[in-house]
Amino acid sequence: MSITVRVPTPLQRLTQNQAEVKANGANIKELIEDLEKNFPGIKERICDETGEIRRFMNIYVNEEDVRFLQDDTTPLKDGDEVSMIPAIAGGRQ
Amino acid sequence: MIDRYSRQTLFTDIGEEGQRKLGNSCVVIFGCGALGTIIATSLVRAGVGKIRIIDRDFIEYHNLQRQVLFNEDDIRNQLPKAIAAERHLRKVNSSVDIEGIVADVNFTNIERFIHDAHIILDGLDNFETRYLINDVSLRHKIPWIYGGAISSIGMTMSIFPGETPCFRCLITNPPGRGTIHTCDTAGVISPAPFIIASLQSVEAMKILVRAEEINRDLIVIDVWKGTFDRTKISVNKDCPACQGKYEFLEGDYGLRATSLCGQDAVQVLNPEARTISLEGLAARLKHVGQATYNQFMLRFTVDDYEMVVFPDARAIIKNTNEESLARALYAKYIGT
Repeated sequence: MSITVRVPTPLQRLTQNQAEVKANGANIKELIEDLEKNFPGIKERICDETGEIRRFMNIYVNEEDVRFLQDDTTPLKDGDEVSMIPAIAGGRQ
Repeated sequence: MIDRYSRQTLFTDIGEEGQRKLGNSCVVIFGCGALGTIIATSLVRAGVGKIRIIDRDFIEYHNLQRQVLFNEDDIRNQLPKAIAAERHLRKVNSSVDIEGIVADVNFTNIERFIHDAHIILDGLDNFETRYLINDVSLRHKIPWIYGGAISSIGMTMSIFPGETPCFRCLITNPPGRGTIHTCDTAGVISPAPFIIASLQSVEAMKILVRAEEINRDLIVIDVWKGTFDRTKISVNKDCPACQGKYEFLEGDYGLRATSLCGQDAVQVLNPEARTISLEGLAARLKHVGQATYNQFMLRFTVDDYEMVVFPDARAIIKNTNEESLARALYAKYIGT
């Protein structure tokens, strides 16, 4: 099983500058654990202290927002594409 | 004068007809930093009839790296951004009605600024005010264009009330305090906001001339890497704002500032935040000022102000009695 994960720019430092990586997991939660094994530090950028997906981090499975699926228990299958998009506040200053 | 827009009207998707529509339009720009100065410059030069620019800040030297309208004289003259922008832009195009307003936008005053707007543009630096714009846009059915840039990346999305997903469909609630970087903690290189603001400006022109090809995706760019991505965003069926619950406009969310009597300090509360990691905040602030912390509080000094932040996300801003300034400092360094 192999899932393609599109990594947002701010997290690419943790993935050795790769914009796309492969990972495994039966659902989003497992996928994040698998990413953390290969790219230590990435989990705390995606999840908060309680393990929930951070509110400014949007995760899409094949372009569907996981908030409208089953959040971090959204099931994954071979060939799925997962995108992560953190929202940006900064503008001026 | 007749020749002023000739290169723009030669562009057939605008033409004479589009130019007339631009001339009869009113645009409101919230925030006049890197994004706002580019947007305002583009739209004043393009001949939009009326432009209102709202900003609460003064110009500082570290703004000049990317805020193209301002110069060293403006800093010496201690001009607020909104006023400096208005003065410079009047010299660029005297036929445009330009109004610079120095104000801290909040739920009590935002409706005053947008009553005649055909479109609202976002040049802000914080999430809180964007949720406010989102509410006011949906309530008054005025399209708005979100834009944000930090580091080398940026994103933008156009919101058409009742037609497209709104900003709360994209991010339901503001990120927790101190969890995201701002330009004050992560830095920014000018081409990132330049490109985002240019995309916002062209979307505004398209909307105003009622062009057909309007962008409805979330666009994310990275100028350092040279990437340009589009993502389809879905309407959130449970989105409070789309269902007519304007919680930010009603003042249910957002920073609350209270001047502490006789102390030359203001307390800032965030009704929505529960906790903040002082350790995480200290790590982000170490490049911008002096921060020390223990398990009970974090003390941070920047410019003439001292901020004391507590684990419940409450902060006391010392050396000021101005509530709007305290809210601004909170948004800038602790984050909203």
